[in-house]
Amino acid sequence: MIRFLANRLLGMAVVLFLVCLFTYVIFFLLSPDPAVQICGKNCTPEAIDQIRANLGLDEPFLAQFWTFLSGLFVGRTYGTGANAIDCVAPCLGYSFQSSQPVTDMILQRLPVSATVAVGAAVLWLLAGVSAGLVSAVREGKFTDRFITGLTLTGMSVPNYVLALSLQFLLVVTLGWLPFPQAVPFSEDPLQWFMNFLMPWIVLSIGAAAVYTRLTRANVIETLQENYVRTARAKGLSPGLVWRRHALRPALTPIVTIFGMDFAGLLGGALITETVFGLNGVGKLAADSITKNDQPVIMGVTLLAAFLVVVGNMVVDLLYTAIDPRVRVGSAA
Amino acid sequence: MLKKLTRAPAALLAAALLLTGCSGGQTDSAGTAGDDPVSGGTIHMLQNADFSYLDPARGWDGGVNAFYRLIYRGLTMQAAGDSDDPNAIVPDMAESLGTASEDGLTWTYTLKDGLKFDNGDPITSTELAFGISRAWDPEIGIGSPWLKNTIAAPDDYLGPYQSGEHPGIETPDEKTIVFHLIAPFPEFDSVLAQPNAVPFPVGTGAGDEFINDVIASGPYTVDTYTPGSLIKLVRNENWDAGTDDVRKAYPDAWEFEIGLDGATIDERLIAGQGADQSAIAGKVQPATLARLQSPDLAERAETAEAYCVTYMGMDTTEAPFDQLEVRQAMNYAIDRTSLQTASGGNQLALPATTIIPDAVNGHKDFDLYPSEGNNGDPDKALELLAAAGLEDGFSFTLDIRSQPIMQAQAESIQQSLAKINVDVQLNVIDTSTYYETIGTPSQMSDAAITGWCPDWASSSSTMVPPLVDGRVITDKGNTNIGLFDDPAINARIDEIRAMTDLDAANVAWGDFDEQVMGLAPMVPLLQEPSVFLPGENIANYIPNTSMTDLTIIGLKDPSAG
Amino acid sequence: MTFTPTELEAEGAAGGEATGDPASSSPPASGRRLARAFMRDRAAVACAAYILVVILMALTAPLLVKLSGYGPLEFDQAAVDPNLGGLPLGWGGGIGTDHWFGVEPGNGRDIFARIVYGARVSMTIALLATALTSTLGVVFGLIAGYFGGRTDMVISRIMEFLMAFPALIFMIAVLSALPAENRQALLVVVISFFGWPYLARIVRGQTMSLKQREFVESAKASGASSAQIIFKEILPNLSSTIIVMTTLAVPGYVGTEAGLSFLGVGVVPPTPSWGQMIASSVSWYAVDPAYFLFPGAFLFLLVLSFTVLGDRIKKIAESGEGRA
Repeated sequence: MIRFLANRLLGMAVVLFLVCLFTYVIFFLLSPDPAVQICGKNCTPEAIDQIRANLGLDEPFLAQFWTFLSGLFVGRTYGTGANAIDCVAPCLGYSFQSSQPVTDMILQRLPVSATVAVGAAVLWLLAGVSAGLVSAVREGKFTDRFITGLTLTGMSVPNYVLALSLQFLLVVTLGWLPFPQAVPFSEDPLQWFMNFLMPWIVLSIGAAAVYTRLTRANVIETLQENYVRTARAKGLSPGLVWRRHALRPALTPIVTIFGMDFAGLLGGALITETVFGLNGVGKLAADSITKNDQPVIMGVTLLAAFLVVVGNMVVDLLYTAIDPRVRVGSAA
Repeated sequence: MLKKLTRAPAALLAAALLLTGCSGGQTDSAGTAGDDPVSGGTIHMLQNADFSYLDPARGWDGGVNAFYRLIYRGLTMQAAGDSDDPNAIVPDMAESLGTASEDGLTWTYTLKDGLKFDNGDPITSTELAFGISRAWDPEIGIGSPWLKNTIAAPDDYLGPYQSGEHPGIETPDEKTIVFHLIAPFPEFDSVLAQPNAVPFPVGTGAGDEFINDVIASGPYTVDTYTPGSLIKLVRNENWDAGTDDVRKAYPDAWEFEIGLDGATIDERLIAGQGADQSAIAGKVQPATLARLQSPDLAERAETAEAYCVTYMGMDTTEAPFDQLEVRQAMNYAIDRTSLQTASGGNQLALPATTIIPDAVNGHKDFDLYPSEGNNGDPDKALELLAAAGLEDGFSFTLDIRSQPIMQAQAESIQQSLAKINVDVQLNVIDTSTYYETIGTPSQMSDAAITGWCPDWASSSSTMVPPLVDGRVITDKGNTNIGLFDDPAINARIDEIRAMTDLDAANVAWGDFDEQVMGLAPMVPLLQEPSVFLPGENIANYIPNTSMTDLTIIGLKDPSAG
Repeated sequence: MTFTPTELEAEGAAGGEATGDPASSSPPASGRRLARAFMRDRAAVACAAYILVVILMALTAPLLVKLSGYGPLEFDQAAVDPNLGGLPLGWGGGIGTDHWFGVEPGNGRDIFARIVYGARVSMTIALLATALTSTLGVVFGLIAGYFGGRTDMVISRIMEFLMAFPALIFMIAVLSALPAENRQALLVVVISFFGWPYLARIVRGQTMSLKQREFVESAKASGASSAQIIFKEILPNLSSTIIVMTTLAVPGYVGTEAGLSFLGVGVVPPTPSWGQMIASSVSWYAVDPAYFLFPGAFLFLLVLSFTVLGDRIKKIAESGEGRA
């Protein structure tokens, strides 16, 4: 077990390192010169050279990458003298456009993103699993076909189309909901709920549809397994058969896929946050892309990749705990 | 300056000509008792983009300049938005405008009594000199260049953190400050109204110290700042209203909500729920105009004149635009009414025939290349082309920004010029690199569409010269994109700049505009006014496309929302 | 953003794993029976018909535009009201005999023409991306599955790495930084680059189990080369999986292209694209809903059709296999 764990951790570190390297290379090649951005409107070539030297931008690529990597663990200092700027660990870089450490910018936006993500996850789990169960129980009946149709629609509607339609309908036309604003829960729980409801729905609809289908397929399959039939034949009450024999194995795959999906939400919330003007990490990425603020884009990319890798890892570990057979084969 | 949104375009045009003498309070004369601003409450400002910088030595654009007025004070400032001439420069912390020496090289100011920072420390000439000297720091002083352009300093002076005290600024006593200039500059009062001419306690503000928090001298100070999301201002208890003739500072607090989509902002202002009653924002989207027709919204909407001109610059050094007749033909041929429609209609665009916009002091009304209904005069243009030996037409490349309105404008020009056999190729450049490209003569195509606004509207000295002075042409960051260089024009610029009677100078700038347009180095296309929609509870709001005066706005009922 | 292909493929993969792969490794349903079963399915036929219409629209765009009278880039200032910020004149955003779907506010461009030309962009990018993704996915999946060992490890690590990437953010970032020329080709490459591992993973799994089967063993024994075995023996057995997976992937790519254009990093204006039209309709939807509804509906129906079609083909293929 320990060896397995160590292996996985090592693999994770390698993937993360590669993500860092790849991202850094791409942005190193594409990014506009930060020295020019700092220098402003009335700039001379000498001033640019001065700034480049100050920030170590004249160093070779590998040296800069090393500074970046070590900044993640021990922090780093941009520039020298009176104008030096400290960036404490974990330093994801420094945005010269907004003059902020990237880590701070992300941390400031994280609560909103977390609210959007957790709410959406709860919603799609509840909606997806219950709809899937209903669908499975009524297999082949009208309800089942209706839910299946809904899931196909849910999977197909682009989330910005849904977001705009909902906003037009519920906010502009009917006035039932406010234009989403990041109202803190502590300030007004009801307003908090009302404001975040649309983003939650929009962000969860695609996943809810997939989870419905997964749950349905798994439950139907499990019900056909021999041991369930046996249990039924033994005369156990249907409720007991359901709870003890059908539900648990049917839901295990859901739990595992949920980990990965949840970890991927940070990147996924980009459109939802942008359309609704919620200042989360996704919106930060979108804004930075418009402003060509590469350090921030890179920071968010790395964070998102980190979450996905860690999410995968947690899922693997959970899976191992649930099903010891995996340990031997260790499928990729 | 303030005009109610009018449905009839003719009325709007007529109103646009009534330049001054219209003060904010009068327009709502029929209103109820509660229409005047009252002290207290919170005003919300909804905006898409964050301000560039809280540090006034770094930021320099219309939006942030308006914001700086709430938290900083200088020696002089632009007059209140509701005054007779809102473009005028008036004293702020100084007892009066500056006194220049006989040779115009030394300017002296005296400070008022009782000036304090938000931390209670007194503001003296020393703090002012220190704050101003920050403009010379190579990394911090990236804002307005005017202090550096006018105040004498050795070449190796790099601001207070690296080079110590500024040798060109003297502080003989606590109340007196003396500036030594590089050359006479009769408009030096306008330079000191620039946002970076403000005081800071000696030694503060190095590096990124003023990025997230600042030391305020104005009526408000920063309470919380979440970059990209929220700025909250609260009262600066150490600001003494008795020392301030301009700022009214009615509300107790300001909240700037940042990162909202333009359409969402308009929707919120139209709906006006809760705190949005007490909200203001930038100009509305063209799509919103159609909804402002309902009586209560039309009542709320305000129009503001343009301070900028949108024009087509032509490379006057190369064929065919090196010929005066060809440039004049362009001025005749372009259908400005079609351009107007392409730019959002008559509430958002007016045909321009002069370089100086109506709202800028010094504007003179003339049209050297008239046409019926501004629809262009292709016949006259064809005559001129024939005179230039180009009766068969020609083809040229026009640089434009990858932005929908600009593309629509370019396509409108394409259609106008097709009538005189001139074929326009469009070269669409990404917004992020556009100005850099056209500011580099070697990279600019034959012509480009761009805009220009004055650095201060009290005169036209920063409106016309940067576009036509042959001596400001540079390899990079060039403003004279037509590369127009005419000795007579250059000489005239110097003459007017030297005039110490600023009113006379403004008359001269207007005539100068006409003189320049006789040589047609560019085609003025449009002035683009804006429409604003304040919340119902907002009073004394006088929007301005150059800089809206936030310091005179208040709430009608601070308890609402 | 919903990455439909990912989720569907995840579903496909999970479903496959749960059944322990017995069904998928048996010889697949024949194409003819698949087609026959398909024709009996009304929803599938309707979806296929809609897709065909869109494809036809894309192919005959220049002709259709000649019929309707307005090109996709042509301004019609007479169709908008200059007093109202360029709001289209008339009902439903200017719908009429002149402009069948109305006009864009501001410049009066014909929405029908832009929809038709937008279909070109959508279909070209989605289909090319699907083709490239499938090729990459199948080739790498086969290689990894068949050769195993170190080759498998390297390919699997690369796939893991790509799947760990926050693809959307990265796509936007890369596209926004790259020059605007050849944007359509770039879109295809970028979308495929992050898309192929999902198919490759499944192909790899099935190849691994097919490799153990008798017919492969006997081919090996008769001295066939690796290439022969992979392409002659294994690949044909994967055809139904590949068909299902690619059909399931198309809607995702349609959505991705539109999403990227919606965010302003897709197709460069003035080239029409549905995503871009939706983006620019945002500020207008309250006064001119038609401007939003047309591209929104066309896009939604296209994605839905591909999704339903993929779903049906998958079911038919599975049941066909079950019966075989």
